[in-house]
Amino acid sequence: MARAAKSALVLCMDVGFSMSNSGPGQEPPFEQAKKVIQKFVQRQVFAENKDEIGLVLFGTDGTKNPLANDGQYENITVHRHLMIPDFELLEEIERELQPGGQQADWLDALVVCMDLLQNETMGKKYDRLNIALLTDLNIQTSEDQLDIIIQNLKKAGITLQFFLPFPVDVEDEAGGGGDAAGPSAPPSRPGKGLSRQQTQGLEMVKHIMSSLEDEDGLEEVYTFSDALEKLSIFKRIERRPMAWPCQLTIGSSLSIRIVGYKAVTEEKVKKSWTIVDAQSHQRDDVKRETVYCLNDDDETEVQKDDTIQGYRYGSDIVPFSKVDEEQMKYKHDGKCFSVLGFTKQELIPRHQFMGSQVVKVFAPRDDEHAAVALSSLIRALDGLKMAAIVRYAYDRRSNPQVGAAFPCIKKKYECLLYVQLPYMEDLRQFTFPMLENNKKFMPSGSQLSAVDALIDSMMLMEKDENGESVEIFKVNHIPNPQFQRLFQCLHHRGVNPDDPLPPVDPWLKRVLERPQAVSARCQAPLRDVKTSFPLKVVVKKKEQKTSADVFGSSADEPDAKKVKVNEETEFNLAEITEGNITSVGSVNPARDFCTLIRQKTVSFDQACQQLTHRIEQLLGNRSTEYYTKSIACIQAFRDQSVLSGNAELFNSYLQSLKRSIADRSLQDFWNLLAQDALTLISKDEVEASTISKQEANQFLSFEQKQEVEVAPAQDDTGDVDDLLDMM
Amino acid sequence: MANWGNYFPNEDDVDEQDEEESGGDYKSSGRDSLVFLVDASKEMFIKGENGEPSNFDMTMQCVRSVYTSKIISSDRDLVALVFYGTEQSKNPRNSFKHVYVYHDLESPGAKRVQDIDKLKGDKGGQFAEKTMGSGETSLGEALWCCSNLYSDIKLRLSHKRLMIFTCRDEPHGGDSAKDRQARTKAADLKETGVAIDLMHLSKPGGFDVSLFFCDIVSPPEDESDLGLQIEPCRKLEDLQKRVRAKELKKRAQCRLTFSLGEGVDLAVGVYVLARTAMKPSAVKLYRDNNEPVRTKSRLFHTQTGGILLPNDTKRAQVYGQKQIVMEKDEVDEIKKFDDPGLVLIGFKPIDRLKLHHHLRPALFIYPEEEQISGSSCMFTALLLKCCEKNVFALCKYIPRRNTPPRFVALVPQREELDQSQTQATPPGFHVIYLPFADDIRTVDPHVGPTASDEQVDKMKEIVHKLRFKYRSDAFENPVLQQHYSNLEALALDMLSPEPIEDLTMPKVKMMDDRLGPLVQEFKDLVYPPDYNPEGKPAAKRKPAESGGGAAEKKAKVEISEEELKIHVAKGTLGKLTVPVLKDACKQFNIRTTGTKKQELIDALTMQLSK
Repeated sequence: MARAAKSALVLCMDVGFSMSNSGPGQEPPFEQAKKVIQKFVQRQVFAENKDEIGLVLFGTDGTKNPLANDGQYENITVHRHLMIPDFELLEEIERELQPGGQQADWLDALVVCMDLLQNETMGKKYDRLNIALLTDLNIQTSEDQLDIIIQNLKKAGITLQFFLPFPVDVEDEAGGGGDAAGPSAPPSRPGKGLSRQQTQGLEMVKHIMSSLEDEDGLEEVYTFSDALEKLSIFKRIERRPMAWPCQLTIGSSLSIRIVGYKAVTEEKVKKSWTIVDAQSHQRDDVKRETVYCLNDDDETEVQKDDTIQGYRYGSDIVPFSKVDEEQMKYKHDGKCFSVLGFTKQELIPRHQFMGSQVVKVFAPRDDEHAAVALSSLIRALDGLKMAAIVRYAYDRRSNPQVGAAFPCIKKKYECLLYVQLPYMEDLRQFTFPMLENNKKFMPSGSQLSAVDALIDSMMLMEKDENGESVEIFKVNHIPNPQFQRLFQCLHHRGVNPDDPLPPVDPWLKRVLERPQAVSARCQAPLRDVKTSFPLKVVVKKKEQKTSADVFGSSADEPDAKKVKVNEETEFNLAEITEGNITSVGSVNPARDFCTLIRQKTVSFDQACQQLTHRIEQLLGNRSTEYYTKSIACIQAFRDQSVLSGNAELFNSYLQSLKRSIADRSLQDFWNLLAQDALTLISKDEVEASTISKQEANQFLSFEQKQEVEVAPAQDDTGDVDDLLDMM
Repeated sequence: MANWGNYFPNEDDVDEQDEEESGGDYKSSGRDSLVFLVDASKEMFIKGENGEPSNFDMTMQCVRSVYTSKIISSDRDLVALVFYGTEQSKNPRNSFKHVYVYHDLESPGAKRVQDIDKLKGDKGGQFAEKTMGSGETSLGEALWCCSNLYSDIKLRLSHKRLMIFTCRDEPHGGDSAKDRQARTKAADLKETGVAIDLMHLSKPGGFDVSLFFCDIVSPPEDESDLGLQIEPCRKLEDLQKRVRAKELKKRAQCRLTFSLGEGVDLAVGVYVLARTAMKPSAVKLYRDNNEPVRTKSRLFHTQTGGILLPNDTKRAQVYGQKQIVMEKDEVDEIKKFDDPGLVLIGFKPIDRLKLHHHLRPALFIYPEEEQISGSSCMFTALLLKCCEKNVFALCKYIPRRNTPPRFVALVPQREELDQSQTQATPPGFHVIYLPFADDIRTVDPHVGPTASDEQVDKMKEIVHKLRFKYRSDAFENPVLQQHYSNLEALALDMLSPEPIEDLTMPKVKMMDDRLGPLVQEFKDLVYPPDYNPEGKPAAKRKPAESGGGAAEKKAKVEISEEELKIHVAKGTLGKLTVPVLKDACKQFNIRTTGTKKQELIDALTMQLSK
């Protein structure tokens, strides 16, 4: 099929009455040929290349072609002249293509096609001129012009393909001829075998194709079923990369002229979907309007001209107009491919390749000196197993890249392969827990053996006839399923506007799955793996306990629990809710604190820290209710400290609290505290305490005395001194 | 900068969005926070010998550097600046004497950087004296105040850090009560997850950590005493390093099931370890008051003027001059082949992974034990065996719903540690995208003469001379660096941006010095004397080419009406170039706005079809 940038092709189909004949249970050749043409045109439509297609029918009831006169070239119709195929052509093939009641000489049809090609391509440049002839050869043919036709085909540079209902090598079977028909089994022949005309026609086909293309000519003769199979795959998107000329520079004085081509890049769907009105299907009926609004209550609209560009700088947004940006931005001299240095290939990790393409770098054609110079570099790098680190800029408006140029030496050519490398800003330094020396996850010997067997059974390598390893399931030979599926659906919808979308083609599904031989081979090892490795889906708990890492965050507790009805009920409720308490909440911090201590989910110190934070929060609100709650917390703090024999934390906190009372205007709170006799923990209560009972008692009573007196400045100073002495 | 978007035409925008949208439920999620606790005693303001800046001044330079780095790299982090040993007191609820909270915990911005600038230099010293002065020291009170800064934050915090800057190794002058209080408070902070770091500044006679601060700071990771003896200058240098790269939190792009077949499924998380860093998006502001404006997009009907809802629209494409219409749902359905996941196809030897089959940056997978228990053990077994047998796993990869499949190679990666036993490379599999047939372009190779051994050997000498050890973080993106420098200059009202060093430019002079006569020797071997690789093609070709070009141009401009009609009939107008189409429109008095090719084609088609 078409491989060059632009081709002209004439489809020449036999619609004579013999094409409608078929053996029992077989599809008529006419229907098969029609499908071939449909598939071919369909591929051309969705490939959206520049190829032009014409359609000539022979065996038609009427006659319509430029060469028809005086009874010659009759029953041949030029249905379509050379033009880029459109959906109209597909629809015509679908609806208007009907079997004719006449017969016509396929050689005459061939001449009409040649005439069409030559006349309509004159003065223009085509990479390829091709005629595809679809016929059953079931007609008497005059051979008088055969040699002239062959010469004219050669002179005009026209290539020829035949599509027949039967394989071309049927007559050679007895003689053990070559396998020219193709990989699949040839279809069964019409019941009675070939007619005399068909046999004669076949000889002429062989003669023509051998004359045109020497020994390979017969490879261009296909059966209808072969063609249908190959044409089911939509034409892969082909694009010829543009040449990018530049100089490769090493230092200031060594330049090598080069040309780069984009060799590997992710192909995108060429067309995007446009939005149309659901009723009229008109694109012009839909218009997109963009407005800019302030963030005020009225959402005031502003004109686009009244907007300016800005960038976020921390918590601020800095106006940075496009003009300023353009003026201040990084600028460089333009296109460049400059060597920064050379390094070992192994120092460039494969998984750190960046960018979206691979560029092949050659010397320009017809520049032998550049070719030799570049070859020196390529072979030097290959010999040393090194690569060049390169500064690459596509043009002056592009941003420069740092990349690597790897040497590539093939049988037929040498080149550099350029791949972009990361900047420092592109890399992310993430760390993950170790796996290998982790006792928790280390697999056992039997588990490793099971995986070993699995890998062996799933190798996608096979032995060929010569015993060499051959790769199967080559991804770069698979057409992009996204495109295939898209074109399938577009074609189906185009031809059947009201039908639902078809299911995915079976061949497409099959090509995306593991090869069946491999699946069969690995079934047993997979079962072993399944047995060896217990794998269980984890059902997520509704409330996960927070770890120490998020210890600082305080989750709000749910709504207050019911008031206790009796002691037994209280106990049950407490037991039920204990499991959910993970921190000192704000609803009932004292109880949460006691629960945490009892559960030992966090350390005593941590629980105390949380509690004191909560107390500080409560004291931030100066009201009696919050004071009462705070006192409950302090009471719990004191009780648990005594129980655990840890007086230091409580005493330290209470002393600090006392010092801050004056500054925080919490005298009322302190009075409440004094009434409850919540004083320091003395040695009598906790052995390790450094506070005597007398000191503890005086800690509060001293404050009481202060309250009674009217305080002159002199007396205040004296009190402070006394307190310090006692401590 | 206007062409930034064009720089990466094939960048997958969906991936970018997906990364931002996905909210991984990580235990370490939350904001990072950093509190600078700076000694403001008189000793800090003493100038060094030879007029060196005071410790306070040096500290302010460090703090400013961290602020500006945070603004660019981690603008969601919270930073605070607290002074202790001050005469004045300023803190929430004013509970703590001689503690001055200059900045509380908040995201830094331009104003805060300017606040720091006020404290720098001689004027800065005076400003500090006037604002807060120097006074008594109680580190315990200061630490408690910092603790309150943390607890006052409503947001969830992840990593909490406290940095103490001081040149006094005995801050309380022997007051054991204050020492004890400070130790207690430091212990409290450490137990709530705050990492306390000490940046001890220079002191005559040397700073003695053992006097007091060894009990205050968090132990280094390696738990050795040597960590405490790091020279102050090195720590300060690290802080002063300017970072102008967006820092990203570790978060899985998505979590998937990895199916080996026969119901053997593991759970893995997909991570991005390398992705092209882009300039941040611009924000639209109202010119009058510099407030952000919000953009609203609406579809409406041009005939009726009514608003169009999503179900009032369909999707269409034109192929073969025919419009094909689909529902939005159908467009999505076309892209759906299977549920998201990784499906194992088989294994191949590593050497079959071709270097030039590269489409986009790689991903990384790591087991998710919390999704499917046993995943880590299975994953580790696969990893070990793939490394041992030197194979990669070939998988079908569907990252999201309604996304078509791609094939990827899972390349095993064992953990690698650096010299300080820190993880340099995590263990897991790299996910390398493989190209389909459509992604491989047909390139006609240029076949030319190859080099002789002598020429190759000479080039090898050149290669050896310019050999270096490549590290992937060795180069900074000059476009990004320049942008951030410009932005900083505008934000801080600087006269001009800080100049950046372009590490991507080759050091030509150094290279020339190293190469010496080798270049000329190579050129003598390869190039004839009159060959100029930088010049234009040979002069002898010029007359023919220029003549042909001129003739060609004239021919194009004067395309005839008949030819145009033929093009219209054939549907081949697309083959003509835009200038030719423009001239044709002029020729037939067809008025067209814009220069898009399709518009010109449509106008011509309409005119000539009448």
